[in-house]
Amino acid sequence: MFRILKKSLKTGIVTGQHPHADQPAESPSQAVCEKAMPFRQSLTIREVDTGSCNACEMEMNALANPIYDIERFGVHIAASPRHADALVVTGPVTVNMEGALKDVHKQTPDPKLVIALGDCAINCGVFKGSYAVTGPVDRHIPVDVRIPGCPPRPAEILKALEGIRRPASWK
Amino acid sequence: MTNQLSLQQRIHMAFPGLAAAYSVDGLLHYRVEKSRIPELTQFLHEKARGRLALLFAVDCRPLAEKYEIQYLFAFASDHPWVLLTIELAGHDRLFTSITPSVHAAQWYEREIRDLYGLIPQGHPDLRRLVRHEHWPKGTHPLQKAFPWNKTIGRQQADYRFRHIEGEGVFEVPVGPIHAGIIEPGHFRFSVAGEPIMQLEVRHFWKHRGIEKLFEQQTLSTAIALAERVSGDTTIGHSLAYCQAAETLLHIDVPRRARYLRSLLLELERLHNHLGDVGAICNDTAYALAHAHCSRMKELLLQLNDRLTGSRFLRGAMAIGGVTKDVSAIELSEIVAVLDGIEKDFAELESIIFANASLTDRLETTGVLTERTGWDHGVVGVVGRASGIDQDVRRDRPFAAYDEVPVNIALYRYGDVRARLRVRMDEIHESIRLIREIRANIPQGPVAPAAAHRPQPGQWALSAVEGWRGEILYFVMTGEQGSIHRCKVRDPSFVNWPAIQWAVVGNILPDFPLINKSFNLSYAGNDL
Repeated sequence: MFRILKKSLKTGIVTGQHPHADQPAESPSQAVCEKAMPFRQSLTIREVDTGSCNACEMEMNALANPIYDIERFGVHIAASPRHADALVVTGPVTVNMEGALKDVHKQTPDPKLVIALGDCAINCGVFKGSYAVTGPVDRHIPVDVRIPGCPPRPAEILKALEGIRRPASWK
Repeated sequence: MTNQLSLQQRIHMAFPGLAAAYSVDGLLHYRVEKSRIPELTQFLHEKARGRLALLFAVDCRPLAEKYEIQYLFAFASDHPWVLLTIELAGHDRLFTSITPSVHAAQWYEREIRDLYGLIPQGHPDLRRLVRHEHWPKGTHPLQKAFPWNKTIGRQQADYRFRHIEGEGVFEVPVGPIHAGIIEPGHFRFSVAGEPIMQLEVRHFWKHRGIEKLFEQQTLSTAIALAERVSGDTTIGHSLAYCQAAETLLHIDVPRRARYLRSLLLELERLHNHLGDVGAICNDTAYALAHAHCSRMKELLLQLNDRLTGSRFLRGAMAIGGVTKDVSAIELSEIVAVLDGIEKDFAELESIIFANASLTDRLETTGVLTERTGWDHGVVGVVGRASGIDQDVRRDRPFAAYDEVPVNIALYRYGDVRARLRVRMDEIHESIRLIREIRANIPQGPVAPAAAHRPQPGQWALSAVEGWRGEILYFVMTGEQGSIHRCKVRDPSFVNWPAIQWAVVGNILPDFPLINKSFNLSYAGNDL
């Protein structure tokens, strides 16, 4: 017990100890910001991997660690698409995952945001053209937000989410 | 040398008239009649205690009108690899399955059938593996006649799961989309109450056609693709690919670059093992250990970012060496960060093992016996936790491991705790190795020497001990420095079938814990 307390006291607060990301290259459109209005206080995310290499998943997981601690911004990760406000999709859409992606999109209640995370989800990246890849995410479901990078750093994901939920025009 | 002779002699004594087509240091190559393959593989597996490390096909068109099937066997550390090659000439599409005597061949042969349309006769299970049921009949993408960017049609069909029937037996389907942030895969459990009677793994949801994409690249451009086979194993895969390409291009890697490669590989192992230790604890609902581990993992990822500009060390590996030198100041920064983490982690270890309820969840959970592991040819962390003493860093030293030898963590119980212990020991060992590397690293260039142009049809095999286990690459050249065939084998491909046996008799709620303790890649498995 004392060992645990000592460890926690010694470690202190680490939240926010990360290099800061630059502003995203393109700012979100007015329409997307209006769509994100209901999620300003709380946003629940369901992550769907449609064929990524797992690096984007690791960065999404990193968002939940004590250093980024995404929950302090009111962002939660849901276990089911039916509890989600936003879908975060990673990877090019493979032939085998196409059906599952469409199902998940249908199961997510409206209003919903779709966020394409990483270069593969946006333009298929190095997997472009393959027989087993059916195209980027926006070929199958409408995409609202694009976060580029291979993979995007957690700080960049935080910045992009902040951009749609707290746009500069509102301040 | 005596051992190499003895294995060669034993094969010669058992099969007189069989001449090695090719014999270099560390590899014996035999070209054999396809009718002899079952007895030969049975001999190598059962009598000579060989592990089937790789089984794959090559479409030799347009150079020759034939398919080749290659069987690679690995033996104890001081023996060479044995590669057997059979030919299917012309319109021949049949070969004899070796699965009845060498169980580890089961997925490989189903994969060959899906990707090439060659039929393993006598295989007990010929359901589709890579191609899901909705792929039209006759789609075999790795045949040379199949265009790499073809659009695939759809058909209606269902996968037939194995069923257990009886009173009180239920099936629980899980996936392909899971509750956590993990990759897609399907698990079908048959349960009677809580205990699992049977698990069937249904994967290949994220098959992206990587092996076909490799064939569209040249030897020097494919490295970006190798880095993205499995995102968490960037260095492992790109290093294995680079080593094969260097053999084909006759490049000698400078000594300093070999040390830096070992350094990068150990950094990758460290951040993944730290993440896994935390995730195993988290799956027993011990969130405190998870928080500390993910904090330490983040420190390492930030260190990677400062070193190479990528948190996953992307773009660090190059054919012939590494892209960027690491200065003495950076080396002391790495060691300083690792000193802090080692102390931090040692304190956490004593907290973890002082927790009786955690130990209760870990011990005797998800036991993979040595025998089952051996039958599946299990490699890496999972193998070493079940008493299978195998590590490429010691058995076939690459990078700088001949000069900086590694101590291997070996446990025998094969339960979740053993796999956790292997990872913990390897964290300390990796930190020790990086200190050694810093102490011994020589000065010199890190960039490649002049390149040689390989003839079409030459090939090379390479092995790297990534953080999950043995990664194998087979690269064959085509015209003008292109790639004719690149076979990628992530350790996950051999370890996934074994998990089906490790869960039997455990309760369903322990499955996430067992799965996490294996922590296999879906992307590297599906390709």
